[in-house]
Amino acid sequence: MQVQYKPKRNLLETILHTEIMQGLALTLKRLFSKPITRQYPQEKPDIQLGFRGQHALVRDPETGGSKCIACMRCVTVCPSRCIHIRYHKDEENDSRVVESYDIEALRCVYCGFCEEVCPVNALVLTEVFEYASYDRESIFFDQEKLLKNWDDFAEMKGSAIKNYVNPFWRPRGLPEKYLAAAKRVNVPEEWTVEGQFVGHLAKEQ
Amino acid sequence: MQVIIILIEILILFAIIMLHVAYATYFERKIIGHMQVRMGPMRVGWHGLLQPIADGIKSFFKEDIVPEQADRITFRAAPIICLVAMMTSLAVLPFAKGWVLADINIGLLFIFAMSSLSSYGIILAGWASNSKFTFLGGLRSMAQVISYEIAMGLSLVGVMMMSGTLNLTKIVEAQGGSFTGMYVFPQIIAFFVFFISMLAETNRVPFDLPEAETELVSGYCTEYSGMRYAIFFMAEYIGMMVMASIGTICFLGGWNGPFEVSIFPPFWFVFKVYAFMFLFIWIRATLPRYRYDQLMSLGWKLLIPLALANIVLTGLVKAIIG
Repeated sequence: MQVQYKPKRNLLETILHTEIMQGLALTLKRLFSKPITRQYPQEKPDIQLGFRGQHALVRDPETGGSKCIACMRCVTVCPSRCIHIRYHKDEENDSRVVESYDIEALRCVYCGFCEEVCPVNALVLTEVFEYASYDRESIFFDQEKLLKNWDDFAEMKGSAIKNYVNPFWRPRGLPEKYLAAAKRVNVPEEWTVEGQFVGHLAKEQ
Repeated sequence: MQVIIILIEILILFAIIMLHVAYATYFERKIIGHMQVRMGPMRVGWHGLLQPIADGIKSFFKEDIVPEQADRITFRAAPIICLVAMMTSLAVLPFAKGWVLADINIGLLFIFAMSSLSSYGIILAGWASNSKFTFLGGLRSMAQVISYEIAMGLSLVGVMMMSGTLNLTKIVEAQGGSFTGMYVFPQIIAFFVFFISMLAETNRVPFDLPEAETELVSGYCTEYSGMRYAIFFMAEYIGMMVMASIGTICFLGGWNGPFEVSIFPPFWFVFKVYAFMFLFIWIRATLPRYRYDQLMSLGWKLLIPLALANIVLTGLVKAIIG
């Protein structure tokens, strides 16, 4: 490809500076257009579908604790390895009991894989994004803090929290029969793009 | 008695000009902001109207740092030379009929002298700071002023020939009150040359090589801080206003306008000066910076020959007609 650095122009165009005039006309036009910037602390940005913000563990209304079953899928999938879970086996009914659930939010890359793989929709990346802090301790989330994050988020959402569904709870690209029971949630229509099935799933369709 | 009256006049002019300088920065930031589809200052006061005052207070109370290796006396004197030279040229500007501090017969020459003197401030600042960025900025300023001072002086020779005087009040009067009497029409080449050299003289984009942020940090004022930096800033804006005023006086008919505003005689003068200022800002928002050799070739190969040709042309027309 040949780049023409100096476009050809005739004498009249050179004398009248048509190119500079074009530039000036553009900036003058922009002078009267509406600014696209936002006066941030007063005007909040509108949160789009699929926004990934502060981490939270969904508080189960029945038990009052988290829904986590310590399956370790989020720990395994996390690309930045910022999730740490400790658990022990309950001898009576052979189930796992979570001892601690920590997220180093400063290492998190907000990919949302953890909420996609969670079979019980215990983990969520909420729409809260204003949690900057002067110390590292307050951005290191243990289980209590994660549950409190959920409570804060619920308070922010108000009554809408009852029907709250995070779109990442239902991974895209999988038909309903491949999903765990808890993952078959109702997400907005534009989120479940059925044509996104990949590999052998696409052939089956 | 005479002295006291003049002193009071000077004080009033000083105060008004300082306010104008403060709000010229606001004007510039707002316009550039909106041209870049953002809002500009919005926080201090309604739509940021008190921003210039906040800026002034801030720079007044900031620590004044003099680099260890700097030439102290020159370092301290440089911004003052800049400001004084620029403010002195305000004295000869006629804002309206009779509204002039010193109605001297060499007004135009005086302004040339003062505007080249102010570039000494820049050069000395560049030298005294003892830093490579300021030094390069000073060097560039020196070369720029030498090449553009000539073009600007020559471009105004046409105006002098037509009006037959160097007195700024008389130049305005020679243009008369009519629209067609303005020298911008017969002296269109001179106006073109003057306008470009005016941008270069005031170190504005696209000729802001002395303080090119992208390559020289902040050019000649890199080492300056606090009030001294603010003084350089003031000098730059007063320079813009002085140059805009000369443009108004020599080419756009000064204080004359379509109708008289009897409550405020300099109305049309101020209006035209602000139109020029808007043009300065508009160009700043549009054009990128010239390369150094382009700047030199534009000045020496285009503007100076054009200005010389204009003098010959004006002389010929004058000889044939009258």
